[in-house]
Amino acid sequence: MRVIVNKAKCQGHARCWAQAPEIFTLDDEGYIEPGDIKVAKRDELKAARGARSCPERALAIDRAATS
Amino acid sequence: MTKNQLRSNPVPDHVPPEMVRNFSLFTSPGMLPTANGDPHAAVTCVHAGPPIFYAPNNTRDGRGTWVITRASDQRKVLQDTETFSSHRSIFASALGENWPMIPLELDPPAHGIFRSLLNPLFTPQRVRALEPAVRERAIALIDTIAASGTNCDVMKDFAYPFAVNIFLRFLGLPDDRLAIFVGWGKDLLHGDAVKRKAAAQRIVAFIDDLAALRRKAPVDDFMTFVVQAQVAGRPLTNEEVRGIGVLLFVAGLDTVAAAIGFDLAHLSRNPKDQEWLRSKPNRIVVAAEELLRAYPTVQMIRVATRDIDFDGVPIRKGDYISCATMIANRDPAEFECPNTIDLAREENRHTAFAHGPHRCLGSHLARREIVIGLEEWLARIPALRIKEGTAPITHGGHAFGIDNLILDWS
Repeated sequence: MRVIVNKAKCQGHARCWAQAPEIFTLDDEGYIEPGDIKVAKRDELKAARGARSCPERALAIDRAATS
Repeated sequence: MTKNQLRSNPVPDHVPPEMVRNFSLFTSPGMLPTANGDPHAAVTCVHAGPPIFYAPNNTRDGRGTWVITRASDQRKVLQDTETFSSHRSIFASALGENWPMIPLELDPPAHGIFRSLLNPLFTPQRVRALEPAVRERAIALIDTIAASGTNCDVMKDFAYPFAVNIFLRFLGLPDDRLAIFVGWGKDLLHGDAVKRKAAAQRIVAFIDDLAALRRKAPVDDFMTFVVQAQVAGRPLTNEEVRGIGVLLFVAGLDTVAAAIGFDLAHLSRNPKDQEWLRSKPNRIVVAAEELLRAYPTVQMIRVATRDIDFDGVPIRKGDYISCATMIANRDPAEFECPNTIDLAREENRHTAFAHGPHRCLGSHLARREIVIGLEEWLARIPALRIKEGTAPITHGGHAFGIDNLILDWS
């Protein structure tokens, strides 16, 4: 699984980070680091929950991607 | 102008009469100060009507606005800063002046420059570092309350001294003028035109003096950071320093205190919710999000920069567009059973801190203040209820609030 990060839409709510700080890394301004996130099998549930928590809809899940 | 003149505000010609509704966040039922009111529930009536309508008297100064009721439409408006501008000089207008609170009333790209300057001070990581001081303050206040009896006015004895103290610390100021600042804030947000102007003048003078002081004798605090900061290779102008200082002052005074008041009122009226959180304090973080959804305090207003057809609604350049958090957060298209306050609700992309580039800069600090406040209340004070014979007075308006909350645990 992969989380597709639309960095331009991130507004620093940090709800993904609140769900899973080890998966979603924030920059010095508290916004998500650019680049899609490869998710290990064991983290899929948490990553999906984090992606779904984004108020701006900046995160999408790509389940077809292999980790 | 008198209130009656304001009410007779003509509806602009381009607004189709069938899109006008008799609704106002200022004057509709439940919006004026009301004993035992529930202003958040009162505004849910809009969801029985069309998704967008025109309210002829929906700002403090009696202007008409479009009202966006759907959460998804509010998101569109708040994310599209090119079409929907934030430049309104809300504060400066009280002085008959025209300068922006920064970054709130700037549009991109200027907005981004100041936002990037301030963002690092308000990240969730930075807020973690402030947490011990926030908790210490909460505990000190609650222990004093507990030692002096079995009831108190939560607003006067806790919510304001807690939230305002934290903001004063952030600015690097001592506590001794706390009550004066709260008074200024009340006059500014809820006073008449004369009181508003006087409060605005005092706040500006205070911020200007503080900036001058920190320029002369820098210390390790927020105002020193601002007067020493550079944007685009230059120091900030006096007006920019003032715009930032005033925004912080105003933002820190009212909203967190109001949120804590509404939250503790909810827990006092809903003993099952209160007991559940007492037995599961680790659920307070999730519950606080639901309380933010149910009892948010602000409405965002944007100004159209061009004519636009928005889902069949003819918005014209210069029109005001209201995105009230309390309305979007009760949108049945966004939230299952929106009027049921379910402290265990997991899917909760509420709009209490707005959307788009103007997402509340202080949101992470506000969240922690609310969570810590609730944690320490429930840990230190036994079963809470509203004191018999008293009634919390709530109000709507530009910022929803609760004036008093007498709780009893005898």
